[in-house]
Amino acid sequence: MIKNILFITSIFFSSASIAGALEVTIISAEAEERMNQGQSFAGITVEPDRPVLRAVELALFESKTLLQRLGFHDALNTLDIKPDRDLREQLLAISPSSLVILDIPLKTMLKVAPILNELKLVSFNVRHSEPTLRNSLCMDYLFHAIPSDHMYFDALSQFLIYRGWRKVLVVRGPSKKDDARAETLIVSLKKFGASVVDNRQFSLSHHPDDRDKNNPEFLTGGASYDVVAVIDSEKDYGRYLQYSTRKARPVVGDVGLTPKSWHFALERYGAPQLNERYRHFKKGDPLSSQVSMTDKEFAAWSAVKLVTNSLSTNKKIGTNFDLLNLLKNPQSQVDLYKGTRGSVRLWNHQIRQPILLATPDTVVAVAPMPKFLHPKHYVDTLGLDEPESSCQLSKK
Amino acid sequence: MALIRHRLNPQRRPVWLIHVLTLILILASSRLAVGFEAVISNERSGDLVFLDESGNSLDIIKLCNRPRGMVQDRPKKLLYIACSDDNKVLEFNLQTKKIIREFLGIPGAMAVTLNTKSRRLFITNEGASKATVLDIDTGNLLSTLQTGFEPDGVIVSDDGSRIFVASENAGLIHVFDGNTYSAIQSIITSLRPRRMAIRNTELWISSEMGSRVEIFDLNTLLKIDEIIFAPKGFRSEQMTPVDILFDSTKKLSFVALGAANHVAIIDAETRSIEKYILVGRRAWGLGITPDDARLFVLNGLSDDATIIDLKTRRPIKTARTGLAPHSVEVFDR
Repeated sequence: MIKNILFITSIFFSSASIAGALEVTIISAEAEERMNQGQSFAGITVEPDRPVLRAVELALFESKTLLQRLGFHDALNTLDIKPDRDLREQLLAISPSSLVILDIPLKTMLKVAPILNELKLVSFNVRHSEPTLRNSLCMDYLFHAIPSDHMYFDALSQFLIYRGWRKVLVVRGPSKKDDARAETLIVSLKKFGASVVDNRQFSLSHHPDDRDKNNPEFLTGGASYDVVAVIDSEKDYGRYLQYSTRKARPVVGDVGLTPKSWHFALERYGAPQLNERYRHFKKGDPLSSQVSMTDKEFAAWSAVKLVTNSLSTNKKIGTNFDLLNLLKNPQSQVDLYKGTRGSVRLWNHQIRQPILLATPDTVVAVAPMPKFLHPKHYVDTLGLDEPESSCQLSKK
Repeated sequence: MALIRHRLNPQRRPVWLIHVLTLILILASSRLAVGFEAVISNERSGDLVFLDESGNSLDIIKLCNRPRGMVQDRPKKLLYIACSDDNKVLEFNLQTKKIIREFLGIPGAMAVTLNTKSRRLFITNEGASKATVLDIDTGNLLSTLQTGFEPDGVIVSDDGSRIFVASENAGLIHVFDGNTYSAIQSIITSLRPRRMAIRNTELWISSEMGSRVEIFDLNTLLKIDEIIFAPKGFRSEQMTPVDILFDSTKKLSFVALGAANHVAIIDAETRSIEKYILVGRRAWGLGITPDDARLFVLNGLSDDATIIDLKTRRPIKTARTGLAPHSVEVFDR
């Protein structure tokens, strides 16, 4: 069922202007158990996971003044799909001019994205950072607002090189996802000149036979390293490594110093204003002071803002605009409150942006780090560059 | 210099020595009151730092929480300072260096501007999406102007007939009637409009995320031109211009280029860029001596100010400021 949850009619500044519409549809998967995601043992939440709805509402709320000035009204719909039923039939309910935000699990997205592409609906991946998606789902109508793992790990690697912590001990979890992400991390580390001292797997147990895998001191012993990089997608074990390594070395990666696209403690670039708005824009539903958008929510927010910001910078766009043309225009851009604007990498439709290096309570640095230079775009030392990408949408 | 070092590190010398040195300095400065002095508001350390025109530190005064925008009433030697986190504006005597009055209940006071003819003070209220108009003599609230989110720069036409307020988030300049305070129109700008400057019939607007300065006609409110920056070694998205300033003849324009760590000198007539000067990190606040001899550039991320000699167009000194320097005003000593 498609639900219209918000409809703002605009007050026109000029009565001559014809109303255009910006419609946003968020697709979620029915009965997806998000409550348990990001939760570790005994109900301890290590990484909150919320639906992206609030962030999309915020983006539209923020854009209201500009949309009114442009003679646009906006509408927000949600579509809760049943992943087991005929997807195409369910997706036909979406209005042909709507911007689609994909707040769905990876398995469902792999099926939904190709259908949306056929239906010529512009959609945004806001949840999945898997680099392979940027190649396997290389489609005209699909964009990626959440950074890829290449971008996250390139930022982390630049930081390590910048600090002179070149010898890295990689410690990863037992899942396939951890394996793949550790590989991506190692690619990044080597790209910027770090050396991987060893690549070890941890296990969450106390079995004496597995001591070299489950005991932090053994796991990080017998090697010389500047820093331990942990890959722990489930946030299961990694957090126990801090302050427990064999050598007194910092822990980075999925715990400790972490690459993030957004953070509650970013002090500059107008970020405190955005965080404050996110917490308080919904009357009667304020959030507490340390809550801010998760990377997924920030991705959804930036997808909508990319469209509304581009509407104003692209003066030739009329009220009857084509969403894909708007986004594929090299002039399209978004103010991300990170000191450097974001825009679309036309070859694989990834939103380029700075990445924050942060601990749970502070932002330590904003990558790209100094002296990592790219000939064209300041932030394109983060992630797959055009010649490295097998997805070449701009050459089609 | 001895006195200054001492103020920064109070534990170094005995107290009586400060008093003697202070007395000597006061006596000396009262006889040799020449040249200019710059006052810098520092967001993070909550103080004012005073520098002489060569960049020597003269004084540090702890002031309020998050002081940001400032404007001078030159004839009266007064300074108005927005204290954002205290929701107030201070009236500060630049000669005695004392607070005279406090205007309270001004939420998120950010940028301030003054129209000396009509004696009105205009303040943007960052979190409240509005601008406040005060009668500066009585302190009475004259009007509040509704804006988009994150209003920053505010400027008034010389005759006071029009008020312009930049909304960073909306990407709009709101235009209000200076007499009735009613909204006239809004101008669509490039991303994140920050500051404005008026030159004859031109309105210059810096767009921080749009990486340009746009020029609009004050009367028609239509765009005339734009200036794009390209100092060597920096990419387009690193151009994040904030402050715009004209010299007293309005022949030259100065633009602080933010993350591009340069300040641009522009021929205001032809709008061609004459020189880029390398300064500190995230150059944003600008101030000029009334004789057009020196330019002060605040570097928001390196916590210092670069002083540029405008004859040779070279930096002569980079001086330490407080934490997160925001605005600078230059006045006669």
